[in-house]
Amino acid sequence: MSNGKTSFLTSEQKRKIRNNITGYAFILPNLIGYTIFVFIPVIFSFVLSVMSWDGSKRPMQFVGLANFVEIFGDKVFRGTLSHTITYALMTVLPTLVLALLLAVLLNNKLKGVAIFRTAFYFPYIASIVAVGAVWNMLFQPDYGPVNEILKWIGIDNPPRWVVDKNWAMVAVSIVSIWKYMGYYMIVYLAALQGISNSLYEAASIDGANGWQKLWHITVPMLTPTTFFVMIMLTIQCFKVFDLVYIMTGGGPGNATKTLVNYIYEKAFTSWEFGPASAGAIVLFAIVLVITLIQFSGEKKWFKDL
Amino acid sequence: MKRRKFVATLMVGIMACSVLTACGNSSSQNQDSQKTSGQTSSQTSSGEADKQSDSNTEAPGGVQELSVTTWDNESSPQFQAIIDAYEEKNQDVKIKIIDTSADEYNNSLGISLSAAQPDPDVIWVKDMGSMLQMADKEQLLPIDEFISRDNLDLSIYKGAAEQLMYNGKSYALPYRNDWYILYYNKDLFDAAGVEYPSNDMTWGEYYELAAKMTSGEGSSKVYGSHNHTWQALVTNWAVQDGENTVVEKDYSFMKSWYEEGLALQDNGYIQDYSTLKTANIHYSSVFKNQQCAMMPMGTWFIATMMQSQEEGETDFNWGIATIPHPENTEAGYTVGALTPIAISAYTDQKDLAWDFVKFASSEEAAEILAKQGVFTGIPSDTAFQTIASAERFPEGESNIEALNYTHYSFDRPLDPKIEEIRTVLNEVHEMIMIHSYSVDEGIQELTERVAEIKGW
Repeated sequence: MSNGKTSFLTSEQKRKIRNNITGYAFILPNLIGYTIFVFIPVIFSFVLSVMSWDGSKRPMQFVGLANFVEIFGDKVFRGTLSHTITYALMTVLPTLVLALLLAVLLNNKLKGVAIFRTAFYFPYIASIVAVGAVWNMLFQPDYGPVNEILKWIGIDNPPRWVVDKNWAMVAVSIVSIWKYMGYYMIVYLAALQGISNSLYEAASIDGANGWQKLWHITVPMLTPTTFFVMIMLTIQCFKVFDLVYIMTGGGPGNATKTLVNYIYEKAFTSWEFGPASAGAIVLFAIVLVITLIQFSGEKKWFKDL
Repeated sequence: MKRRKFVATLMVGIMACSVLTACGNSSSQNQDSQKTSGQTSSQTSSGEADKQSDSNTEAPGGVQELSVTTWDNESSPQFQAIIDAYEEKNQDVKIKIIDTSADEYNNSLGISLSAAQPDPDVIWVKDMGSMLQMADKEQLLPIDEFISRDNLDLSIYKGAAEQLMYNGKSYALPYRNDWYILYYNKDLFDAAGVEYPSNDMTWGEYYELAAKMTSGEGSSKVYGSHNHTWQALVTNWAVQDGENTVVEKDYSFMKSWYEEGLALQDNGYIQDYSTLKTANIHYSSVFKNQQCAMMPMGTWFIATMMQSQEEGETDFNWGIATIPHPENTEAGYTVGALTPIAISAYTDQKDLAWDFVKFASSEEAAEILAKQGVFTGIPSDTAFQTIASAERFPEGESNIEALNYTHYSFDRPLDPKIEEIRTVLNEVHEMIMIHSYSVDEGIQELTERVAEIKGW
C-alpha cells in the first residue's frame, strides 16, 4: 500500500476501492449475521425440499419432486392452504380499513391525541404470548366476557370461538386485527402528513363535507400507502404462526392449522424435513408472487406521483 | 491516505471481532443460565454450581462432567434425587443438567441431537414413541454390549427391559414406570355418605358413582369425576383389555368408549372439555381444589399429592383405588407407560454415561425414588412398602392394594410412527369432545388418516 507509485491503479481507482472497503466494513456485521442465519438456511431448505432426511447423521437421499407430490396429496396440507387463505381474507381488509379510519381520526388536533395514538399502538408491542392467553380468556365460551356481552345484547347462542371449528379462525383473526391495526395506523399517519393542506382548503371552498373530503382527497392520495399496507399485511398473514400456536394450537382438530404450523409439525414432530421444506418452498413461492406484485405496483404508483 | 486505509482495515477487523465475541458472549450466557437453573432446582448442589462454570467437559483435578437432559426438573423430585445421589457416590463426577419444559422437551432434544454434539450424554426419554424415533435415527447408543459386559440382570425389571427393545436391540433401561389408578377425595365421599370406590369396579359402576357424587351448581359445583383433556383419558380404557392398541386398521372398538366419555361430559358429571381447554386448566388444580370427587390419573400424581399435603397446599383426606375395568376383564387390568433412560450415540463419555444409566435404573435408585413416592421400572414389594409407609401416603390397606395390577397394557404401542399418529388421535379426540364430529365421523377419520400414515 505504501508503494503507491509503482501501483497500476490510478488514484481515482484507489479512492473508489477505499470507499468501497469502508462501505463493506459498515455492512459487514449485518451481512455476516444475514448469511449465517438467513441466506444459508434458505438455500439449505431448497436443497432439503428435494431430499429425504430425518435430521439424523444418515446421508440424505435425493427424491426429486416426491416431497411436493406427497404434501399436495396430503389432505391436511391442502387444508392448511385453505385455512391460511381464509385467514388472510378475513384479516387484511378489516385491518386496513380500521387502521385508515383510526389514522384519519387521530390526525386531528384533539386534546390528548398522543394518549390515543399510544393506546392504539400498544397492542403491537405487547407480547404475543400474553395477548393470546388473555384473548383466550375473553373468548371463553361459557363465562368469558365476550360471550357475556353477546348474551346481554340478545344473542342467545353466541359462538363457542376457539372450540368451534367454524369460529376458531374468526377469533384468531379478530385478535390479529386488534393487534396490528395500531402499527398500520402509524404508517397511515405518516402518509397523511404528506397530503398538502391546500387540497382540503380548496375542497372546503367548493363546499365539500368531511366524508367527501375523505373519499375524494384522503383515500386517493393514500393509494400508494394502502397498496404497501395491503401487501405487507397479506405477506404477514401467510406467515402467521405464533398467534395460532398460542391461541388454538391449530385446533380444534386442525381447523386453524396454517401453512407454517404444518411446516413446524412436519419438521419437529414427524422429523420429515423433506416435506417440511417443500411446504416452506410453497410458502416462499406465495410470498414471492405477492412481493413481485408489490414491486411492479410500486413502480406504477411512484411514476404517477 | 495511508492512515485512512489503515482505519478502514482496522474497522473491518474490529467489527469482525465484535461479531465473534458477541457470539462468544451469548454462548457463555447460555451456560450461565443453565448453571442458575441447575442451582435453583437443586438446593444441595448449589455450592457446586460455581465449579461447573469453569469446567466444560473436564475440569482440573480429574473431575469429569456428565450432561443429562431433564424436563420440568424443579416441579418433581424424580431426576434431582438420583442426580444428587450419584454425585454423592462419585465425588469426581459433576452432573450438568439441561432442563427443558415438558411441552418442548421432545422438540428441543431432537434438534440438539440433530447437531450430533457430544452433549448431552445421558437422555431421560419422555415418551417411548420419541425413543423409537431417536433409535430409528441412530441417535441412541445400543447398550447390549454394556449389559453383557457387566452381566446386568434384566430380570429385576420383570420384562420391562425386554419391552423397550427395538429391532432386537436394547437402547434404554426402564427408569420410571407409571400406570393409571383412580384418585378420590375421601372428605367428599364422607360428606355425601357414599362408600369409597372399591378396588374392583367396572367402568359402568364408576359412571354410576360419578353421577351419584355430582352435586351443587355454578362455581360451587362438585363434579363426580374429572377427565383431563388428554386423548388418553378415553382411549386408554379402549385398549385396557389388551385386545387392541391405539394403532389399528379399524377404530370401531373405540366407539362405545367415546360415547360413554361424551355421556359423562354431557350429563355434567365431569367438566366440559372446551372449558378445560380454553381456560387451560391443569388436572392437579381441579383435584386439589376439591372440585371433583374422583379422578383417573397416572401413579405419578401420588408424589405430587404427597408433596402438596406436605407443604400444606392442600389439607383433605384422599385415597386411591384400582382403575375401573371393562366388563370383559377382571379387576387389576391397567394401562401405563415406561420412562426409559438412554445414552446419546454422540456421547464422548460412553463408560461414564453407562455407569450413570446403570445407577439410575438400579435397585438402589429405586429405593431412593420410592421414598419420594415415585415408582420405578423395578416392581418389588419392598418398593411398594416404602411408598406405602411414606408419611403422606393415604392410610388404609385398600390404598396399598390399589397399587397392584395383574395385567399391564402400554397406553401406546411401540410403533416408529406413533408420534405422528398421536397428532391425529389428539385432533380427532378434540373434535369429538367438542361435538364438531359425531363419534362415527371421528372414527372414520382416525381410520383413514392412520392408514395413510402407516401406508396401509
